[in-house]
Amino acid sequence: MRHDSPRARTLLAILLAVCLALLVLDSRAGDNPVGVGARAAGAIAFGPLSSAVATVAEPLSSFYTTLTRAPGAARHIEDLERRNADLAAEVEALQADGVRSAELADLFTLSGLGGYEIVPAQAVTRATGQGYSQTITLDVGERDGVAADMTVINGEGLVGRVMDVTSRTSTVLLLTDSSASVGARMAGSKEIGVVSGSSHAITEDAPLNFELLDATATVKTGDRVVTLGSHDGAPFVPGVPVGKVRSVEDTPGALSRTALVTPFVDVSRLDVVGVVVAAPETDPRDSVLPDDPSKGDK
Amino acid sequence: MNRGLLAGLLVAAAVIVQITVVNRLPMPWGVAPDLVVLTVVAVALRTSAVAGALSGFVAGLAVDVAPPADHELGRYALVLCLAGYLVGLLREPLSSSWRWPYGVAAAAITGVSLGYALVGVVLGDPRISLAAVASILPVSVIMTMIVSPLVIAPVSWVMRSLVPDDLITVGDVSWASGRNRL
Repeated sequence: MRHDSPRARTLLAILLAVCLALLVLDSRAGDNPVGVGARAAGAIAFGPLSSAVATVAEPLSSFYTTLTRAPGAARHIEDLERRNADLAAEVEALQADGVRSAELADLFTLSGLGGYEIVPAQAVTRATGQGYSQTITLDVGERDGVAADMTVINGEGLVGRVMDVTSRTSTVLLLTDSSASVGARMAGSKEIGVVSGSSHAITEDAPLNFELLDATATVKTGDRVVTLGSHDGAPFVPGVPVGKVRSVEDTPGALSRTALVTPFVDVSRLDVVGVVVAAPETDPRDSVLPDDPSKGDK
Repeated sequence: MNRGLLAGLLVAAAVIVQITVVNRLPMPWGVAPDLVVLTVVAVALRTSAVAGALSGFVAGLAVDVAPPADHELGRYALVLCLAGYLVGLLREPLSSSWRWPYGVAAAAITGVSLGYALVGVVLGDPRISLAAVASILPVSVIMTMIVSPLVIAPVSWVMRSLVPDDLITVGDVSWASGRNRL
């Protein structure tokens, strides 16, 4: 067979003529039987074939798709992870905001009742170098008007007093620290005494000791204790709720009576606190205590 | 095995793969490589102008008839038939390097794309414009040439190994036969 024989040219001419005829037929407006029939035949032939091959080649197709998306996929995953982390952080922040908002509201209620002028603060650390002392660090300092020996409260009651202050932070000695002592008064009576912390790190829920000066004073379980107040409001302003009497220790022959007091403040979960920068003009007496009297706890 | 039958089988396989697999893959820039042209080129290079024209016609018609009926019947067949014929005339010179079929394939895919667009212009296809051709033609050529080793090498190997290579003789090479091409 020659390359370019007349026979080959004839065949080419015939084929091209067929193509042209089909083209002309098919490009005319309206349906023509040849085109419609051929396409129908094509659909019949290729439809099942196409779906069969597609089924067989599905892994290939999906592999190719995976491959073409692979460079973007890593970035896509990164984006999603970052967004996920952002959203999770946002949700946590919102929840924390809600909690803080509630605590702040409590704090303002309490300070409003007592007429205390406070600086709101956030308890940032609970670092206790060796674990002997019970202190927290606040994110307010001298520039916020905080000075040493100021009372620190939160929505529940007394937290402690400012022990040391820098320009931006201040250290608070919690009332549960074993070296802390607060002049206190029984709510509703004039019995006074000293509340001192007794806890160490391992026994954080240990109550406060309330030592009444008058050995004949009547103390009942459920009685509440507020701060007595110091001279010029330092270190403790008067009227801040301290705790509730849990039990009374019978100490016959002693010169004073001792009661165990559960603090109102949960010192292990401090968040929003307030530093009392100005004492009230008049002693609020018992007005800061919650409305619910101790009789409800009997 | 009969050379014509083998060529037909190869072309049919190429058309099926092209239509059922390649055309469904999500290609970058939306242009798929044209395995049919590559197969027709490889077949025509190992056979003759007649076989090239016939296989091009059959393959083109099959593509025309197959379901995504986006162009007129006979349009692709016309272009591919002509391409198969011309490539068949070239044949493989004995001294040719391995690059020869790829050069022919590149020329063929360019010519087929241009011819397809030209037929579209003649028929008044509104989608064919200079800008469209200028953007699609290079992508089509590049995509096809990227996959060309995967098609030309196996097809040439099959054609060479399954059919006695009696046609490739010194006397039968176009430049030695004393005749002009075309």
